[in-house]
Amino acid sequence: MREEDVDLFNRVQAQDEAALEQLYDRYERILYSFSFRVTNNKFLAEEAVQDVFTKIWTKQRNFDEKKGKFSSWLLTMARNTCIDLLRKRKETPYEFEERDSIQSKEPTPEDQVEWKERGEEMQSALKELPKEQQEIIELFYFKGMSQSAISKTCDIPLGTVKGRVRLSLKHLKGILTKKRERGVYEDG
Amino acid sequence: MAKQCDRLIDYFNNQLTEREREAFEIHLGECASCQEELAELEELTMDLPFGVDAVEPPEDMKDRVLSNVKNVNQVKDNAQSSDTTTKVTDIKDKKDMPPLKKKKSWYKPLIVATLTLSLVGNGVALIYLNQEEKPESTAPSEPEQEEVSLDTLSQKHALQPSEGVSAQATALMIEQNNHVNLVVQAEDLPPLSGEEAYQVWVLEDGTPYRAGTFISSEDGTGAVSYVMDYDKEYNFDTIAITKEPNANSQQPQGDILLSSPL
Ligand SMILES: [Zn+2]
Repeated sequence: MREEDVDLFNRVQAQDEAALEQLYDRYERILYSFSFRVTNNKFLAEEAVQDVFTKIWTKQRNFDEKKGKFSSWLLTMARNTCIDLLRKRKETPYEFEERDSIQSKEPTPEDQVEWKERGEEMQSALKELPKEQQEIIELFYFKGMSQSAISKTCDIPLGTVKGRVRLSLKHLKGILTKKRERGVYEDG
Repeated sequence: MAKQCDRLIDYFNNQLTEREREAFEIHLGECASCQEELAELEELTMDLPFGVDAVEPPEDMKDRVLSNVKNVNQVKDNAQSSDTTTKVTDIKDKKDMPPLKKKKSWYKPLIVATLTLSLVGNGVALIYLNQEEKPESTAPSEPEQEEVSLDTLSQKHALQPSEGVSAQATALMIEQNNHVNLVVQAEDLPPLSGEEAYQVWVLEDGTPYRAGTFISSEDGTGAVSYVMDYDKEYNFDTIAITKEPNANSQQPQGDILLSSPL
């Protein structure tokens, strides 16, 4: 049976190299793919992945099971690192592009069950959002932009950014919930 | 407190300065609506990372990352021992000198680490700065270092401090995939305050071009890797580091702290 993430994590914190490798294998692709999406740079993406594992290995970060899923915790850590790395680089103007046209698709690996299940749903839900809401989510979440940068990029008043972010995310959640309900009926 | 409430997005996106973040966290402890909205943002974004397309990691990334991660402890030990021993020759006499086998095992990954621009905190920078001392300290009695492929390593420069400056830095220019990556690693830097940042410049006939921004840590070390991707070919003749009022200077405003001809 698959060892729980938390158990692996605890072993890694106890400097167990085998556990480190296992945890690495389990999350390498999602962490790298996600970091690449945020930074759009393979060096920075690798640096972010390394930083995440270094923080775990050196016990700079502690995982609290009460605060949610291990995978989400790991990905949040990667996202924060990516934002830091991006901030340290020169500012490059960002242009909104449609993802599908610029990214070569690789099949999601079969063993990444969680990714596959949650990912397909998410991708199709994102596509159902109006363009402006897709862009807000892209800039806010995937680019980790500041409120003022979002306001400038989208040419909207600063005071409306938070509201639009929340609205877009809630809309996305609504679409996802509908999809899941439909999924349940179809299966049943 | 409406002003603090407006910082939620920048807090979530890690865009606040340390002072702003601390102030916001105090506010967060008292403001129910911010707590609620933060929890909501966390919940609503939780599944988003799974919506990205799979990208194949570089083939050798696993080896690099794992060896760099495991080496962090050894770097710390190494940094500590060189802090307490001021002279290189002292290291040779130390009884707790790591055996050759151990040394080799970290010597090789450190080159790889430098080449791939993996700078975890200042760990890799420390390894790199210590690297030259190592072979020297063991050379008299021990066999040659294992051959390490350096074919992508193009140039290395030691930057000279300006008068009255005690900082040290090295610059490594690495050709990789038709890009030049510039890795600058510095130590003994004077402290920064507020928004100040260190800026690396490369100059052609006195015209500066930005080549990486970094901040120093408490112990005065700092490092940055930068892909030199400019709009045309340049013949850079100088590299320099200045202290700038913030990370966005398009022209140097501070004096040159360190520099080297290229
Ligand atoms: Zn508030």
